[in-house]
Amino acid sequence: MIMPRGQQLLLPANPLFIATSLTLALLLNMLQNMGLFGNAAGVPDFLALVLLFWTVHQPFRVSLGWAFFFGLITDVHEVALLGQHALSYTVMAYLATLIHRRLLWFRGPSQALQVLPLFLVAHALSWTARLLTGNSFPGAWALLAPLLEAALWPVVSVLLLAPQRRAPNPDENRPL
Amino acid sequence: MPLGTLDRSPPPFFKQGPTPLTKLLFFGALSLLLMVADVRWGVTQPMRSALSVVLYPVQWLAQRPVVVADKTGDFLQDRETAQRNEQLARTQLLAQAARAGQVDQLTLENQQLRSLLALRERSGITAQAAQVLYDAADPYTRKMILDKGSLQGIQAGAPVMDDAGVLGQVTRVYPLVSELTLITNREHSVPVLNTRTGVRGVAFGEASGAPLLELRYLASNADVEVGDVLSTSGVDGVFPPGMPVAKVVKVERRSESVFARILCEPLARVQAAQHVMVVDPVGAEWPQRPPAERVAPPSRKGGPR
Repeated sequence: MIMPRGQQLLLPANPLFIATSLTLALLLNMLQNMGLFGNAAGVPDFLALVLLFWTVHQPFRVSLGWAFFFGLITDVHEVALLGQHALSYTVMAYLATLIHRRLLWFRGPSQALQVLPLFLVAHALSWTARLLTGNSFPGAWALLAPLLEAALWPVVSVLLLAPQRRAPNPDENRPL
Repeated sequence: MPLGTLDRSPPPFFKQGPTPLTKLLFFGALSLLLMVADVRWGVTQPMRSALSVVLYPVQWLAQRPVVVADKTGDFLQDRETAQRNEQLARTQLLAQAARAGQVDQLTLENQQLRSLLALRERSGITAQAAQVLYDAADPYTRKMILDKGSLQGIQAGAPVMDDAGVLGQVTRVYPLVSELTLITNREHSVPVLNTRTGVRGVAFGEASGAPLLELRYLASNADVEVGDVLSTSGVDGVFPPGMPVAKVVKVERRSESVFARILCEPLARVQAAQHVMVVDPVGAEWPQRPPAERVAPPSRKGGPR
């Protein structure tokens, strides 16, 4: 492929940064649960968001295996059904590998619209698993979560791509 | 167009591992298996324990900002609030002191009467204090996580109470933390006794998820009034008798139903408990339950044996 003039090239993603961002997302989820909202439905799931981001941007590094692992961790933390989040994250990561080549051709807001169905599917799988085991639907507020996650997608994209946008050869004028 | 990456090594062309579809089928089947194992067979406890130990440092770290915020809030509390709280604590202490005096005398009297009648001694309560780490994030259930686990001697099934009444029961024990199911959880039930009339019943968590209890299976003409206090009856062999549980807030007697619909409000702070007591279950000292007689299935008449 011939690079057009003026097109920016990204630095390679640091595996340590990927791991740190995933752990931070897990911490953020826990903080929302422990300090801010308790067990309210409709709270955005940052871990799903960051997992989806890395599955789209680095499909060779983060894919279904890690999604499954972080799903199990979330299940244990939330005292949910063991395997509930694991299933929903795995399916979400699979759908992300299907669209990851196409998605990056769009700008932020249209990307957000395209990842919204993925979050919806992930949450719908969770709801179905719970309905099948005899729990009731947590209420209409639960629908807010996928919408918020999709709305946060452009923000997270800018934040997590920032380290890769640094200059490859930093000098006096361009320290970063 | 997508931004290219300045990777130092080319992406693998041929060694790409299993396809995403294979991985999806594998991990999807694995999580379905885990869910069935969790719900039907109940064999996932060792796995949960191991993962919870791995998770504990992360949880501890996530807890820090909350703890700091709480401490700052306590520090910045104004003088009037502190004085009001102290006033409240003093009045409560006075009320309790009067009762405590009575209780000492009544315990002695009870002991003598029981020995006169040659009844079994009432077993004492042993308990240990614990702190609530956080509310479980699962919006479908009412559970809390306590900061003590099997290493500190917490047993599964142990009743938990706060200063006002019964809060729930420990349902899962991990090495470092344990899981408390609140009495308002729809899958939880407590055998209770109406302290006004002495009628026994069973209080279940409200099905709609409101923080209420429902006293089920009482006839629609049963003597229950708004304001009645329910306490544990002690017939279950888990909860010690006489712990306050709930107060009746609504009695609905419907003509089309045999049973009255009785809603009760828990006395314990099920929404905002912080410090709790984990009481050892009382059933361990009880005499063994007689083994259930195995009834032979009736042989079909004339059928081949």
